[in-house]
Amino acid sequence: MRDYLLTLLSVGLAALALYFLTVSEGTSGLLSALTLIFIWGIAAISLNLINGQLGILSLGHHGFMLIGGYVTALLMLPARERRPFRTRLLSDWARNHLDLDKWLRGLGLDALANSIDAKFIIALFIAGLAAALLGIIVGAPSLRLKGDYLAIVTFGFGEIIRLLPNAPEVAAFTNGPLGIKGIPGNAGNIWWTFLALLLVLWFFSRLKFSSYGRAFEGIREDEIAAEAMGVNLAYHKILAFTISAFFAGVSGGLYASYLQSVDTQTFNFFVTFFLLVAISLGGLGSITGALLGTAIVVLVRVYGGFLEQPNPAWVGYLSGAVLMLAAFAFSAYIRKARRLRPVIEPKHFIFGAVGAVLLVITIAFFKQPWMQQTVQFFGMRKMLLAVILILIMIYRREGVMGRAEFSWKLIIGPREDIPTDEQRKQDAWLSNPDLNPGLKEDGDDDASA
Amino acid sequence: MPLLELRNIYKAFGGLQAISNVSLTVNEGEIVSVIGPNGAGKSTLFNLITGVYKPDRGDIIFQGERINGLTPDQVTKKGIARTFQNLRLFTHLSVLDNILIPQHHRLKSSWLAAVLRTPRYVREEEEMKKIALEKLSFFGPRLMSFRLHQPVYVLSYANRRRTEMARAMATGAKLLLLDEPSAGMNPKETKEITQIIRRFRDEGGYTIVLVEHKMNLVGEISDRVVVLDYGVKIAEGDYKDVVNDPQVIEAYLGRREE
Ligand SMILES: Nc1ncnc2c1ncn2[C@@H]1O[C@H](COP(=O)(O)OP(=O)(O)OP(=O)(O)O)[C@@H](O)[C@H]1O
Ligand SMILES: [Mg+2]
Repeated sequence: MRDYLLTLLSVGLAALALYFLTVSEGTSGLLSALTLIFIWGIAAISLNLINGQLGILSLGHHGFMLIGGYVTALLMLPARERRPFRTRLLSDWARNHLDLDKWLRGLGLDALANSIDAKFIIALFIAGLAAALLGIIVGAPSLRLKGDYLAIVTFGFGEIIRLLPNAPEVAAFTNGPLGIKGIPGNAGNIWWTFLALLLVLWFFSRLKFSSYGRAFEGIREDEIAAEAMGVNLAYHKILAFTISAFFAGVSGGLYASYLQSVDTQTFNFFVTFFLLVAISLGGLGSITGALLGTAIVVLVRVYGGFLEQPNPAWVGYLSGAVLMLAAFAFSAYIRKARRLRPVIEPKHFIFGAVGAVLLVITIAFFKQPWMQQTVQFFGMRKMLLAVILILIMIYRREGVMGRAEFSWKLIIGPREDIPTDEQRKQDAWLSNPDLNPGLKEDGDDDASA
Repeated sequence: MPLLELRNIYKAFGGLQAISNVSLTVNEGEIVSVIGPNGAGKSTLFNLITGVYKPDRGDIIFQGERINGLTPDQVTKKGIARTFQNLRLFTHLSVLDNILIPQHHRLKSSWLAAVLRTPRYVREEEEMKKIALEKLSFFGPRLMSFRLHQPVYVLSYANRRRTEMARAMATGAKLLLLDEPSAGMNPKETKEITQIIRRFRDEGGYTIVLVEHKMNLVGEISDRVVVLDYGVKIAEGDYKDVVNDPQVIEAYLGRREE
């Protein structure tokens, strides 16, 4: 009950903060960053169901997202945007029939058809269903293949799906490589993506902490044991793929609407790659972690731009020096915290030495023209991301959150897994024959457990 | 009608005849021990019963129904559960989760009902928790307070064995196949587990087939002992008769050169 109220309170606070962001000026950059975090967060959380909770490496997620994007685009495209396609590839049939507006009016649901928001919800749902259907197909090989082989097959499926819109036979529906433009930009409004994310968080945490979620994790931990304990592997794997694909489709639809256009490059393999980086950063198997990882990656991409600005060369030298010295101090700090000896390893002196040399160079040659010359490094954002990933893999391989989820109990207790003094005493009493004459006959080992 | 009946089972791995012409009946409420030297085919026999392998020839009949050809999860649903010789717990999950997963196949609610937490699902979930605690209570209170929420990897080896047995019971099976339940336990713990296995039958109503190397455990609780050697059943009967059987002694100690 307390936890429930706390959750409501924080959601309310988040909504309030969002509201103030939307009314204050000059925050559109932050708002679009948040929108991206929400959209990609949904995709990452859904990928996490397969890769983290079910423990199957799947690389075809961009395919599901693409299906969702295209379906949303086609269904939502307003009539005036459909007209120009006559001269392009989109066939008359597709233009006239793949139209949610017409479907709804045909069913006599004019009230829904008049509201673009209602149409958007329906379109997203259909997009999710289309992707889910595909999820069943892509998930099927997981019943027979394992590990790397399965990863390759899912990757292949993903790429086939991605390139499908370009195929001549299909281009009549998808407008081929030209893509579809002029999609209503509902998702550009932050409330859409915020609510969608809340819904997804609710759904996936409910799923994870249900019997089905436990079955998924059992399969991840030990497939043979899970099967021996009565878990139907085929059903649960396909179920996870289907659910995951559904929400991937929804996030694809949101993204297409955010961009107001979609083509086969919108969802290329780097999308899946990006999501994998995000969930590995955050912690495979953790919903909170998936969202956190996405936030890190998106923020680096959006706000890392200053790293690629032109600057005088000395800024580069100085930053290099600071980085090296920081690495030196950080490694010493970590070793100290872990009580390793010696606190400074000989090889770490290299960092310190390089840092010191760079610092000396910066100061000594500060006046030189080559120090004042303007330079610019492209790709620094990706470098930064790579460095973050490497650091995580060295110091916290299971990701920021590990498999754990955020929960109020974790922060303010009570922690059920940590024994209270009372429990500890009782445990020792039970397991120590000297304290417990009644058990003298057959005590056990638990003092060490 | 016997609970479990094996009729002339054969199983070969390539050229190796791991099981040949083994027949066995297990009646309800019995504790049957399967013994034999290393590599005799004891674990293979369990794998055949539980559907991990399919027998090359022969029939496996459980409660009057032929079960060879079923997958392991189907066999478990019929009412046979096992433990593994080398523990196969869900290591990163809590003890409670480990004992809830085997009850999942009995869940009637769909996944959507589980997400929506319908009243029926909530009831089923509570029922599952109750059964989990009931199964754990066989082993005393040690796994039931804070350890319930600890991940399995922090448990002691003996506690992991106990968790695995509780997990097998939680499937709702009638027949438990225990593959070396006392492996890695010290004499004190072995003595305790002997009592507990007997209580499985007396209080839990389980029928038990047991693979074990510790002869004092086998002698103490078995109603019947079956001896395998190179995949062949070489003896069956009372513990005292079996261990004095010259063929069994030969299997374990080898033939004396004349
Ligand atoms: N999957 C397999 N493929 C090939 N050979 C196997 C396989 N499983 C078991 N065997 C072989 O079958 C024989 C019987 O093995 P099994 O594991 O049943 O012995 P066991 O009686 O359980 O021995 P232990 O007491 O050491 O547990 C062994 O020779 C083993 O190498
Ligand atoms: Mg064995």
